[in-house]
Amino acid sequence: MDDLLAEFIAETREMLEASGSELVAWEADPTDRARIDTIFRFVHTVKGNCGFFDFPALEQLSHGAEDALAECRAGHREPDRALVDAVLAIIDRIGEMTDAMERGEALDESTDRDRALLAALATDGEVVEPAACMTQAEHSTSPSSFCQGSEEAGSRHTPAVQRSIRLPVELLDEVMKGVSDMVLARNDLARRLREAGEQPTIDGPFERLSTILADVRNSITRMRMQRLDHLFGSLPRLVRDLSNELGKQVLVDCEGGEVELDREMVDMVRDPLTHVIRNAIDHGIELPSERLEKGKREIGLLTFAARQSGNQIQLVISDDGKGLDTTRLGEKAVAAGVCGKQEFDAMSEDQRNQLIFAPGLSTADTVSAVSGRGVGMDVVRANIEKVGGSIGVTSTPGSGTVITLKLPLTLSIIAALTVRSGQETYAIPQSFVEEIVFGGGENVEFARAGSKTLVTFRGKRIPCVSLAAMLYGSEPETVNWREQTLVLIRLPGDRIFALAVDSVLDHEDVVVKPIAPVIMASKLYAGTTLLDDGRPMMLLDVASMATRSDFVSALGNGTSEPAESAIDEPKLAIPLMLFVAGDGSRRAIRLDLVRRIETVLLDAVSVVNGFAQVVVDGAILPLEGYDAALTSAEKCRLLRLSDGSAEVAYAVRQVVDTLDFTGTVMPVRSDPDLEGQGLIEGRPVGIVNGFSLFARYGSFGSNRPLICRIPENDEWARAILMPLLEQVGFSVATDRSDDIPDLAISIEGTEEEDVDACHRIRLRNAPGQTEHGEIFRYDREAILAALERVRQERAA
Amino acid sequence: MSDLLLVCRIAGQRIALPAMQVQSVIEIGQVTPIPGTPNWVRGLTTLRSQALTVIDCADAIGLTPTELSCDQRAAVMDIGGHPYALLLDEAEEVSEARSPVRNVPGGFGDDWARVALGMVETDGEPALLLDIEAIIDPERSVAA
Repeated sequence: MDDLLAEFIAETREMLEASGSELVAWEADPTDRARIDTIFRFVHTVKGNCGFFDFPALEQLSHGAEDALAECRAGHREPDRALVDAVLAIIDRIGEMTDAMERGEALDESTDRDRALLAALATDGEVVEPAACMTQAEHSTSPSSFCQGSEEAGSRHTPAVQRSIRLPVELLDEVMKGVSDMVLARNDLARRLREAGEQPTIDGPFERLSTILADVRNSITRMRMQRLDHLFGSLPRLVRDLSNELGKQVLVDCEGGEVELDREMVDMVRDPLTHVIRNAIDHGIELPSERLEKGKREIGLLTFAARQSGNQIQLVISDDGKGLDTTRLGEKAVAAGVCGKQEFDAMSEDQRNQLIFAPGLSTADTVSAVSGRGVGMDVVRANIEKVGGSIGVTSTPGSGTVITLKLPLTLSIIAALTVRSGQETYAIPQSFVEEIVFGGGENVEFARAGSKTLVTFRGKRIPCVSLAAMLYGSEPETVNWREQTLVLIRLPGDRIFALAVDSVLDHEDVVVKPIAPVIMASKLYAGTTLLDDGRPMMLLDVASMATRSDFVSALGNGTSEPAESAIDEPKLAIPLMLFVAGDGSRRAIRLDLVRRIETVLLDAVSVVNGFAQVVVDGAILPLEGYDAALTSAEKCRLLRLSDGSAEVAYAVRQVVDTLDFTGTVMPVRSDPDLEGQGLIEGRPVGIVNGFSLFARYGSFGSNRPLICRIPENDEWARAILMPLLEQVGFSVATDRSDDIPDLAISIEGTEEEDVDACHRIRLRNAPGQTEHGEIFRYDREAILAALERVRQERAA
Repeated sequence: MSDLLLVCRIAGQRIALPAMQVQSVIEIGQVTPIPGTPNWVRGLTTLRSQALTVIDCADAIGLTPTELSCDQRAAVMDIGGHPYALLLDEAEEVSEARSPVRNVPGGFGDDWARVALGMVETDGEPALLLDIEAIIDPERSVAA
């Protein structure tokens, strides 16, 4: 309703502005027919629009003016100056009322003033409006005074009104395009500045420019956004019409109308959504009598819920009807040749539900006026996918169907994965990418079938195609699959294929621009986008590529399960992480132990008394596998291992891969640090012994927090040192409690307290050489290391 | 006919392009090839963060492909809403058409006939008026 009102206000104001010059011209020549017509149309439209709202005063005014003008047009009345004045006064009043509406003020009932305005329309005792008739005698003031009155009213305009203008969408697109180009130009400039080295006089303003540009881009994006209310607003009517036609009763419930979506996207979604609604009402929701029999409410419920998750909008349409009839769906599907009988029997319930998206299916027994013609959900799906979205269905027999639409926020910016093939970089829409697999991985096998290559991954055979072969026409035989990275692409309808590329580079949000028809004709590309350095990059059209190399259609679902015998009975696989240790040897560790992989600066590592330690995220961890060979690099890669309570960092040179190890682990007695050796990729690889590792370091999970005493009455100790201590798990005591603290910290210049403490750390105020093991009080790493030593010694 | 024409040379031939359609003549920088497209689609180049499709007209017509020189000229044209850069040997002048477009007695020769609208008199020598749409039409290119 608010939107309608806003539109009414905007329209009225627009017409007021447009008729401004007409009014002046009419005033100059009251008999000008063309002017009268224009003004008549204006008041007529206002009157008509008022019918939608409850504005009796406004309606009366416009009605009065319309009547008077209608008489002039019909020739029953000569337009004279008095009439012109009266009509102008009314139009001013309309403008005033519109302003009031916009400010959200309630419009009063017809005031005396309004009645007087109407009265002024009357001529020589001839009365137009009965209401005016009654008050005519009392208010025989000249009409011109009303004009002044309204001017006064105009001057007390409240400024806090949200102003709005209407713009053609093309203009917005134009601006949007301009800003996108500006971003690209900015990126180009940024690159050049980087190349030119640091230039403080330029860098500052450039930073500012970047920030402003980012803000502008944000606002522009918002300009293109429309609240879903707009879409939702039209639904009740649609549902009402459909349900009446089908003799059903349906209630509509919308939530999430405040979610915003690209205007263009809203338009693209409208048709598919209408189709889904038709299906829901026609097939889903039962007739009132049926519903009563089943113990449901007579009135069916159709719910629309929208919410934003990340850069996607999720729109869920659920009905409380009878759900999908998968048995009938199956019969139809088999009859239509979508799938075989056996195939259908083997399907899971969910797979059966998805059959509604198969082309040429309809479960309606009779073709009704609204649906059941067999063109439906497949078209819906195609349309949704065309805009980069996806659609899914779940159904509970007897209690309803839920259709979920997932839509990208905008059409022009898409999330893409950039890959390299040969010398060039290409982008693949992120929405298609299922998984990235390294061709050299242990769990990946390649097989050849005629001229086609299949990859076996997770027990599925997936058709595999090399991007280089597609693009450059190189022979698939020459492709070294093991050295390629496979991007598993999931096409609509759960068809999967693997695209082999030289390497995967990055995720990027790209602004996609259309490409020339001659490039489009290659059926390889969907668009182009510019890289940060200004070079163009092609966006791959993976769906067409799949069709072009026609394996997808040839293999039906695209994937096939290998026959039972094709793969050995899987042994209990051990998930391992393969890495290159500091000394250059290949090692593996059970994946369950690895919490995460970190990269730290070498500064964070300290070696004290042969104990290596590393500071990660403000925690100090014992470091295993640290080797002098690692110090050549600036940074160090760590595996953060955990046994559930304690953590150990394990320095590695390089993380190679993760794999499911199904071979045999041969025990190695000579090295207690190894659980054993396994044959991975034809080489023996030592598997790190988690048990001995944590047996060595695991004791710091001691539950008792160590107590540390810090100088009393020292602000620095309280404000700066204490948080640090607490952060690494010390309990700080400043008062003299009975417990003997584990550690006492003293600071240069404060009185050294006479406490029995097992350990003592002395801090000094200045950096530099230390004489008695004092630590500079801001040397965080050193303090942490010292604390860790105390902890280890206490634990021992 | 007093249309302005950009007179240039493609594969040694004096060619006229409607000047109103030519946005600018640029020096082409780096061209990113697009594999999988006809050879005469040289690739993409960028002009003020706009990607131009680089077309080698000589190659498209069936003549010896142009060799990209370091100061390669190209005419930027917007055709059917898409920006193109047509490789030129050189851009000579902008001239008024001194005659209506007409056919040359005996034809232009097979290669040119397909892409020429006719001959037009310009200041100095006459020039062939090119049918750009025909050159960049993917359908025709398949036939060629």
